[in-house]
This record gives sequence, C-alpha cells and structure tokens, in this order.
Amino acid sequence: MVNLDDAELVAQVALGNEQAFLALFDRYASRVHAVTLRVLHDPMLAEEATQDTFVKLWSRAHLFSSKRGSPLVWLLTIARRTALDQVRLEARRPILSDSNDPDDMWQTIPDGDTLSEESRWRALYFAVQTLSTEHRQVIELAYYQGLSQSEIAETLGWPLGTVKTRLRAAMEQLRREWNR
Amino acid sequence: MPRNPHALFRENIPAYALGALDANDSTALAAHLKSCASCRDELAAYQILSDNLLMAIPPQNPPAALRQRLKTKLPSARKAPNGPWTWSFVQSALAIGFVALLLLNIFTLFLMQSFQRQQARLSNQLQSEQTAMALLSYPDTQTLLINSQEVTGTVLLEKDRNTVVIILWNLSPIADNQTYQIWLISPDGDRTSAGLFRPQADQPFTSIPIFSKQALSDFRGIGATLEPLGGSSHPTGLRLFSVDF
Repeated sequence: MVNLDDAELVAQVALGNEQAFLALFDRYASRVHAVTLRVLHDPMLAEEATQDTFVKLWSRAHLFSSKRGSPLVWLLTIARRTALDQVRLEARRPILSDSNDPDDMWQTIPDGDTLSEESRWRALYFAVQTLSTEHRQVIELAYYQGLSQSEIAETLGWPLGTVKTRLRAAMEQLRREWNR
Repeated sequence: MPRNPHALFRENIPAYALGALDANDSTALAAHLKSCASCRDELAAYQILSDNLLMAIPPQNPPAALRQRLKTKLPSARKAPNGPWTWSFVQSALAIGFVALLLLNIFTLFLMQSFQRQQARLSNQLQSEQTAMALLSYPDTQTLLINSQEVTGTVLLEKDRNTVVIILWNLSPIADNQTYQIWLISPDGDRTSAGLFRPQADQPFTSIPIFSKQALSDFRGIGATLEPLGGSSHPTGLRLFSVDF
C-alpha cells in the first residue's frame, strides 16, 4: 500500500480496502489534524473533527474525482468544512491564532529542498505569518473561521469596505508570494 | 464616473475563492463567471492559493489512540467476533437452572392435565352411578335387560323424567379412531343420536347416563353401534345392542 499514490489509495478505499484507508491515515493524519486544530483551537474538539474527517473519507471515497484537485486538497477541504460545522454547531466566538505559536513544527524542521511542495507550503505559511496584523486577521477569520466579509466587519468593528480592501490586499500579497 | 461592473466582480474574486463573499455578491459573481473567461482564470489562480492555504499549516500529529479508534469503526472490526463465546460458571449454572425449571414446569403441567382428566372421568362416573342409583330407587323406573352377542347389561328407564342409564358389563376395548354411539329409536325406525361413549378401562362395567331433551315416550327403543371417532349422522357400524322400551 505504501507504494501507491494518493489517488490509487483513495480508489482502493472506495472499494472497501481498509489497509489503503489506514495508509492514507498514516500519510495525512497530521495534516488533517493541523487543519481541524487551526479552526477549532481545542485539542479534544479537533481530535473529534479529525476522526469525523476520516470517517467521511471512508464513506465518501467513491465521490472523489481527480478532475477537481488532488486527494490531499479534497481531504483537507473535508477537514476544514467538518471543523467549521463544529464551530457553527457550538456557536463559538471566532478565535484568532497566535502567530508566535511555539509548537509550530515548521519553525524547527530544516528546509532541505526549496523546490519541493513542502517548501512552497512552508513559504506560504511564513507569508501568512508575516502579513500585517490587520491582513492576517481577515484571512484567519475568513478562511479558518468561515466568516463572511460582513461577519468579519461586525466581529472586528471595521467598516465593510475596509474589510473588503484588506482581504483583497492580503490575498494579492499571498498570491505574489506563492508565485514567486 | 461609475465603475465598470466587470472590475467590481473582479475585486470580489479573492473573497469568493476563500468562501468569504456575502451571499448576494456570491450569487451575482457566480452568474458573471459563466460569461467571463478572464474572471474564471483569475478565480482559478486564487483557488489554487486557497487550496494551498490548507497545506500551509504546520502538521500536527493527532493522539495515537485516534488510529486505533478509527480501526474499530471499520467493517472488519465491527464484524469480527470477540473470540469464541464461552460460558462463565454463573452463566452455566443459570442456564442449567432455567432448563431444570422449565422441565419441572412442563412435568407439573402434564400431571395437572392428567389429574384433571382423571377427575373429569371420575366425576362423570360418579354422576352416572348416582343417576343409576336414583333410578333404581325410583318406583316407576323400568329395568330392561341387555343380552346381545356383543355385550350384556341393563337399561334403567324413567320416561317421565326422560332419563336413561345404560350399564354395560365386560365391554370390549375399541380402537382410538372409534367410538360407541347411542341411538333412540322412533316408532318408524328412525334413529336419533343420544350421545357417544367409550368403555371405562379401569372398571368392569361402563355406565352411560342419558338425559334426553325429547320425550322418551316418542321413542320405542334404544340401541348402540360402533362408529368412527366423532360419531355418525345415522348408524353405519356394528350393532352393540338394541332394546325395545
């Protein structure tokens, strides 16, 4: 199973192959958990959301289509939506991340290959971290807390036009970093 | 000067890619995207960024127990038996006790039914004999002797009370699918059924009381035949006896 690529593993999961399912879990559990933890900011809720994500992977693997992206993006999208559903279910107030999180693994992992996808994701992560506070807040609330621009304006007490401008500026800056 | 609508839509594309556009703006942009190729390209670029933002989070290992918990949710874990099922001492003792209690109940029920059948038979016999004694002591009772090839006995007849008691001695046993049937014989020879009986196995004689709803004076005699179990509408089998009043 370890030799199969992600799409082949998902296809096997769709056929009910439990070993393929566990191989995907071993490969991507840390990424899924990172997303749920980023959205929920609560280890127990995040663990529950991570479990739900993989249960959905098991039951919905037959719905995956490679035309709509990679299996990892598909899986992390499920994780994000599952965690956001949990946020809405509990009607929680939006929580902003601490940009100086000492547990971030990427702070300590050496970057050996600057052309790998991993290094690009790392660069994007640091690009988010180095956004101005205002820009990072709108990205956090929009993407990791699932708020609309109006809800962000209400949460932060900013005019809606300011939210739109800052969100657009933040995304343009991240796009430049991504395409560098 | 009013801004170009296309430019307004284009400004909303980054928020749309993040899923942060308000509902009305989102609907309008979705409609615009159907007819604007350059906006679709712009969205595709931001969509790639949005997808990769999910990966731009430092990995965090979940608790090790999560993998094990997920394994228990897979079909093989749910179907797998928990090892061969064994009886504990207490379970075995309870099962044996339950079976013993069940057998005891069945045996008791059998005994009760047997006693009830015996009681009913003795009750009928007692009633029959009391009726016979009463008829014997009644001054107007007519006594008729039965002396056929098959059986001997006595008919005690009290016409005023429409009561008859037949006492038969040394009656031969019959098969399970047979019965004796008593007939009252009218003057023109028609037979009216007056009841069924079987030989009393534990007595040398068999007594049969008959309480006729119809006046016995309407009949000229009484007899009995061997019939299939359940009786017949008219005599079909071997004649046991026949006596004229």
